[in-house]
Amino acid sequence: MITENLKTNASLEASHIELGKFYFLNDKYDEAVAEFKKAIEINPSNAEAYYNIGLIKESSNLICEAKEMYQKAVNINSEYKIAKDRLAKLIGVEIKD
Amino acid sequence: MKGKQFAVIGLGTFGYNVALEFANKGIQVLAIDVNTEIVDRISQFVTQALVVDATDEKAMLEAGVADCDSVVISIGESIETSILATLIVKELGVKDVIVKSASAWHSKVAAKLGASTVVYPELEMSKKFVENIVTPNILEQIKLSKDYNLAEIVAPKYVWGKTIKDSNIRNNYGINIIAIRKHVPIINDDGQSDIKEEINMVPGPSDEINQNDVLVVIGSEESLAKIKKDKE
Repeated sequence: MITENLKTNASLEASHIELGKFYFLNDKYDEAVAEFKKAIEINPSNAEAYYNIGLIKESSNLICEAKEMYQKAVNINSEYKIAKDRLAKLIGVEIKD
Repeated sequence: MKGKQFAVIGLGTFGYNVALEFANKGIQVLAIDVNTEIVDRISQFVTQALVVDATDEKAMLEAGVADCDSVVISIGESIETSILATLIVKELGVKDVIVKSASAWHSKVAAKLGASTVVYPELEMSKKFVENIVTPNILEQIKLSKDYNLAEIVAPKYVWGKTIKDSNIRNNYGINIIAIRKHVPIINDDGQSDIKEEINMVPGPSDEINQNDVLVVIGSEESLAKIKKDKE
């Protein structure tokens, strides 16, 4: 029963992420953020959801909020390269691999 | 620019990075400092790196400073050394001398000694820093002349969905839109969502301004202040 619930939750979490991306690609930023937040409610350690909210905030010229979201994504997953790159760009530092 | 030779005297953080940037652009650069360790570190990147005392005129001549087209003096630790080095470089006949200043008085003295450009990065940076905090809707501002600035502003709500012509920005504020910048959502090659920047470099009167667009504008300080106030 617990395993089944976990499977359902994981699948629901992934669905919210996919739907969020769909809205984002179609310039529906509010709807996209709502979906990413639903994914975070299911799994507060979903780095991808934070990263995507960061992209939306940056696209909306809300740079401080974007930095905060990228930072959360990186805190959860320190190997999240694309989030690290975007954060570094906004902070104004250059990361060389 | 090709064939031009530069010298950078003083390889602290500023000077070191200036020398590296010259080298990255394929420009011949002579890097000078009194610190052997720093000179060793930069030697693999620049045309030539030498340990020379910048206050020793003979040593500077032998190092080839007089043959340089432009010299950047970035001695931050001692204003006295910087001033002396500026004097020597001018005496050696270098026409283009750029001095990194550490204070307002340092700037004045460097200018009196004949420096062609004086940069005061801390002052410039602090002004920009405060400007960015005080006017977050003005993302970037560059002074074009005494009264006119080039600025990047977030498109105000009242122009969303309007064409440049219908927005009346030029008539209402005396501001010219010279480019429109926007972020476009994409899926990158790795299948991850990302954003790319698109710039309309020649916006026409019928081009539409949308929510989240950034307008690159030219206007007087007064006009920019007015548009900022109206946005609030």
